[in-house]
Amino acid sequence: MEEDCAPSRRVTEGMPYCGGMPSFRMTIGTDPAQVGGACQAFGEFAEAHKVPTAIRRSVSVALDELLNNAIAHGSAGVVSIEAELSADRLRVTLSDDGKPFNPLDMATPDTGLSLEERQIGGLGIHLARRLMDEVTYLRLADHNVITLAKLLA
Amino acid sequence: MDITTRMQNGVTLVVFAGSLDSNTSPKAQQEIDGVLAAGAKKVAIDCTALDYISSAGLRVMLGTAKKLNGAGSGLRLFGLNQSVREVFDISGFSKILAVFNTEADALRGF
Repeated sequence: MEEDCAPSRRVTEGMPYCGGMPSFRMTIGTDPAQVGGACQAFGEFAEAHKVPTAIRRSVSVALDELLNNAIAHGSAGVVSIEAELSADRLRVTLSDDGKPFNPLDMATPDTGLSLEERQIGGLGIHLARRLMDEVTYLRLADHNVITLAKLLA
Repeated sequence: MDITTRMQNGVTLVVFAGSLDSNTSPKAQQEIDGVLAAGAKKVAIDCTALDYISSAGLRVMLGTAKKLNGAGSGLRLFGLNQSVREVFDISGFSKILAVFNTEADALRGF
């Protein structure tokens, strides 16, 4: 984990390098147990930079959903997480080297079913989409790249 | 995630503190399974100190509600913060689970 424009060992090609804004970067493997560590590290970054609590929580939920999704569906070896805080938004970019998988293509679950009928499948992506202000997917240089944004206003 | 349980007027109160996500849900599931195996019929989950919940946590809530969905038993939740409530609203869980504002509300008539 690297914070606050500390020299980075991995500068993503084509991305502006840090730019003076508080940023956070870490890489995890395919062990689902590492997702918890990523969510916790993000939470510490958000609290250190006084991100509003509601936004920290929403992004934490989206991270848990999308990181597990990437690991479960994508045959990824490495998943990288970058967060950048600017004056008006928190932007998080998730990139993995797994097979092409666009989570935004997943069907929206029926959230109107009764207790007995309800299943959990598909709910995670639905939550991530609804909790974020922007979610985009790109297939870029053999990587799945998901960008999340939450406006701070 | 810290989980504690206590009995109050015949209701088993389960207190979740921290986040309920893919990392912590197995522990929460284990704790609830223990409560149910001990014969609890009426369970109230105290969410006052629950920071956030993801779909893995919703799975625990849904499974517990289904197991307790019968005469003389039930699951009630209370003390949800705004973020947890938003996740419940988006997922439709606000309509299928018994959600109360306070502990007193949840225990009344349970």
